Amino acid sequence: METIRNYLETMFARLPITFEVQKAKNELGQMMEDKYTELIKDGKTENEAVGIVISEFGNLDELAEELGISSFVIQGNQKAAAGIRSVTLAEVKDYLHDRTRAAYTVALGVLLCIISCCGYLLGVSWNWRGAVYATCFMFLMIAAAIGLFMFSGFVMGKWKFLKQKGCSVDFATAEYVHNRRESFRVTFAMMITIGVILCILSVLPVVIITSLFSWRSGLGVVLMFVFIGIGVFLLVAAGNMNAGFSTILSLNKSDTMGGSFVPSQKQVRYNNNMISQLMSVYWPTVTCIYLCWSFLSFDWHITWIVWVIAAVVQQLIRAIW
Amino acid sequence: MSSISSDIIRGYNDTMILYLLWDAPSYGYEISKRIRSLSDEKYLIKETTLYSAFTRLEKNGFVESFSENATISGKRRTYYRITDKGRQYYREKCAEWTLTKEVVEKFIKEDGGI
Repeated sequence: METIRNYLETMFARLPITFEVQKAKNELGQMMEDKYTELIKDGKTENEAVGIVISEFGNLDELAEELGISSFVIQGNQKAAAGIRSVTLAEVKDYLHDRTRAAYTVALGVLLCIISCCGYLLGVSWNWRGAVYATCFMFLMIAAAIGLFMFSGFVMGKWKFLKQKGCSVDFATAEYVHNRRESFRVTFAMMITIGVILCILSVLPVVIITSLFSWRSGLGVVLMFVFIGIGVFLLVAAGNMNAGFSTILSLNKSDTMGGSFVPSQKQVRYNNNMISQLMSVYWPTVTCIYLCWSFLSFDWHITWIVWVIAAVVQQLIRAIW
Repeated sequence: MSSISSDIIRGYNDTMILYLLWDAPSYGYEISKRIRSLSDEKYLIKETTLYSAFTRLEKNGFVESFSENATISGKRRTYYRITDKGRQYYREKCAEWTLTKEVVEKFIKEDGGI
């Protein structure tokens, strides 16, 4: 029965989600199920029954006119002719494996970049030899990080075709990815939470160590960077892995039957092309303003207001354009 | 071994369905099963063909659909019921078939042209 259900889902995967299509799918599914049940009752093996049901199903082209989907069926055939790439389950598993590895590699690289300055921070209180070691340490860390970035870039390079249009996955694969993402959800939440907490708590070592051992303030700052580094590591790794699932699930168009797993959170679209270009760099710019203002003025108690203003401005822009 | 020409029979799927609904409402699989047994297994109607016939008949007002729980399995199914307009249409189709058969028959040799 599972095979039949998958077959039906695959047949309908590229059709638009309309009332007629849903109804047709339910109705056809019911007929197939009835037939299957009866064949099994008559003593057919499961494989035989599935074979008979599928071979007698017919062709969706016949329904095109009734369902008002002629344009879709024809389009679909043209796409098939133009070579729409169907991504198999094995490929998807491979992709998710590579993506997870790349997620950790990139996150590790970011971590190394963040802590690369630590040697220097410890070194200030030492002699000139310390400064040399610190510089060496920094360059080593950065070189290693760049190595990691490049490595993950090469690994992910072979999956570039997924980003180009014309790929799709069948229902069973989409369901597999969906289930994997569901089971990853708790881990994802934990990683994000711990990451954020570490970033927030990163000031604690500075405060504590400075107040306890005022002569070793460098150590506090080092610990702060380590905290931030681990926090960011978790955020980057979790975000990247989650993006892997989304990449696969958004291969199918969300307005077709096969796209039911596409993340429901729709991307905001701006009618004005200029605005949409500007909005793509909106939050990075806001972050930049916040950091510049805060570090230059050290008015941390008030600079957070940037975020509130930014959020309001964004809503305004969305409402207007 | 000859088989049914799907082009010819397509025009009479509606007639068969209306015939089967004449006495009592029925649902998809039962109709396909009865078409098969009444034709001595010579005509297997495909699910998509059957469904497209249902939607066409319903659009033209020849049948009405309603959903009901099946008596045995308790599953919710879409049943179809013939309307008066459908009965009228069935009579027209019968007359049309009699005429068609009469005309075509005149050109069929008794021995099949052997």
